[in-house]
Amino acid sequence: MESLSDTVWDVVICGTGLQQSLLALSLSRSGKKILHIDPKEYYGGPDAALSLQEAERWQTEQASSSAASSSIFSSARIWQPSEGAGLSSSRSYSLALSPQIIHTSSTLISQLVSSRAYRQIEFLAVGSFFIFKPSPDPSSQSPPSLSRIPSTREDVFSTTAIAARAKRSLMKFLKFVLDYNSAPNSEVWQPRASEPLSAFLAEHFNLDAELQAYVLALTLSLDGRITARDGLATIHRHLTSMGVFGPGFAAIYPKWGGTSEIAQVACRAGAVGGGIYMLGTGIETVAERSGDSDELVEIQLTNGTPVKTKLLVRGDEERVADDAQEISRLVTIVASPLSSLFEVVVEGAPAPAVAVIAFPPGSVTEEDRSVSEYPVYAFAHSSSTGECPSGQSVLYFTTLATSTSEAVLQSALDALLSALRDGDEAPKCLYQLRYKQSRGLTSVKTDGNMVQLPAPSLSLAFDDSTLQSVHEAWRVTMGSASQEPETDYMIFADREPADDYDDED
Amino acid sequence: MASDDDALPTLKILLIGPSGAGKSALLKRYCDDEFDPESSTATIGIDFKIKKLSVRGKPYRLTLFDTAGQERFRTLSTSFYRGAHGVLLVYDISSRASFLTMDRWFEEVENNTVPDVALYLVGTKLDKAETSRAVSVEEGEALAAAHGAHFCEASAKTTENIRKPFVEVVDMIVSNPALLAGKGRGRTAGTVDIGSGGDGEGYLSGCSC
Repeated sequence: MESLSDTVWDVVICGTGLQQSLLALSLSRSGKKILHIDPKEYYGGPDAALSLQEAERWQTEQASSSAASSSIFSSARIWQPSEGAGLSSSRSYSLALSPQIIHTSSTLISQLVSSRAYRQIEFLAVGSFFIFKPSPDPSSQSPPSLSRIPSTREDVFSTTAIAARAKRSLMKFLKFVLDYNSAPNSEVWQPRASEPLSAFLAEHFNLDAELQAYVLALTLSLDGRITARDGLATIHRHLTSMGVFGPGFAAIYPKWGGTSEIAQVACRAGAVGGGIYMLGTGIETVAERSGDSDELVEIQLTNGTPVKTKLLVRGDEERVADDAQEISRLVTIVASPLSSLFEVVVEGAPAPAVAVIAFPPGSVTEEDRSVSEYPVYAFAHSSSTGECPSGQSVLYFTTLATSTSEAVLQSALDALLSALRDGDEAPKCLYQLRYKQSRGLTSVKTDGNMVQLPAPSLSLAFDDSTLQSVHEAWRVTMGSASQEPETDYMIFADREPADDYDDED
Repeated sequence: MASDDDALPTLKILLIGPSGAGKSALLKRYCDDEFDPESSTATIGIDFKIKKLSVRGKPYRLTLFDTAGQERFRTLSTSFYRGAHGVLLVYDISSRASFLTMDRWFEEVENNTVPDVALYLVGTKLDKAETSRAVSVEEGEALAAAHGAHFCEASAKTTENIRKPFVEVVDMIVSNPALLAGKGRGRTAGTVDIGSGGDGEGYLSGCSC
């Protein structure tokens, strides 16, 4: 078997996050010699889905090493009430570090289909979006509640939660969005493109605060201050994604941990194409270079092996600046199936495995009676995601990081469990993992034959700009070969073999 | 296009084990009846092979997954193991070192599959038994028994016993209805099919009342 040091690699890819893995997939039929490594012992990097044991090791690494000050992840902590009672074995869990829903209209879906990688991935429906409503009078005993956002036209008409006049305004807005980019609709919003979407909704469509909250929830805007331009684009994406692969859902989620699963399947495709895979192996040093782009990059791997490559592609997992956007996350395992969140509400729809709960600004009250400044979002994952055993569920909370965001997430969790109580008992938490995640590099950085991919986007729905970075890295890797028409980028035939028949004796 | 074959029950079977054990040779001989004595390079370009096999009078569609070289540095992913009904663990009877890695391979399988998965230990290169056997039949049998696996030795070169591990692992699978119907196998109810092309109707479809 050829040795790693004797080979001149066309490209060494470091990190198996979603982007690097998609790059490996895109190069899997190129005939390029590829060495794909990851310093972690598991696939997925910042997009990984972790067992409880892996999560514990990850948390310890974050907390202890000098990496803590430079990593995009920080402040990781694990809390297990009553020392893990009620939890199943470590491997029964698969907790996603950066869970994202994927709209059915996303180019990621069409690339997974055209590259044939999708066959090894199971996709589940993202069902209802809910708005969290705090208890109307804090002194009363009435609990907070959840209000489901109507997901279809029929739903809008049949819901009793919206008054008739408001329904007409809402329908008017939805029709407008479907055609928002052509005249005369475009002339309406373009002069106000940079204004907050909520102001545009209030002033142009007369949407009341409640309907504005519905619409803003669908944007999954982290600061709640999304502009009219971006807001209309995300609502348009949501509406046009509705029903694409079946009734009742606009987004899907890969079973067993989301994008982590896509990364693994993409790496397998890279291996089938001849790529060499090593985990638990990172880059120790990169030799000083003269700047000549014909010069090979000389790398010392952390296991001591020297390798030479024409190109080095790395992911970015480093904090770039202290003022970079940052989010607080709280992942919790709950000892209840939370069935009311995963009901089929549209006839013929697949059973949803993911539900989204939006807490509008001001809806979460802390112990000192201060209220939340930014929206909080919770993704509820049922055991159908394979991320927890049946009878349990996983809740992923996200909000913009502030000095109080951790407390806000805790209050949001308590309030949600209170809203989901069945009888007197609120569902119990078995496990909590909290951490902060900051946005690193936001675009591809190329320096001679070194390419750095951006850090993962913090958005809660998969952001198609991620794919542009991958495509850009592919172009650099392919060099002059990519000057040809790129019509077959990520388009591959099945490797499927001919069927044979083996008859019983 | 849908054919009758698509309706056959599909079984996912993995071939794992150390580099050079002869996994691909076993697979190629069984599926294509080909054997290349010169081929010693790592496997490239084979994702999985499909073979139809009747056991106890019922036809099944086997999808046989090779490691795609990811065994070299033990980087098989958890997703590779998902939904596997059976695993062939393959070592070379003429290599002591190959056999000694099998405990770790059993451990990896047991960590990544469900408890009732069908396990089958295969000692390959049986044609070398007279000249360079390094692992006895008894050792193979004992290791298999310790992990609740079945066992045989085979040769892709002479075709001796070449069908045996495949037929028997399928027999083990189909005689365990819980394994065939078990949760987390195959496509879960509620799975969305993204491969057939989206042509849904969008948000404002339906009656225009």
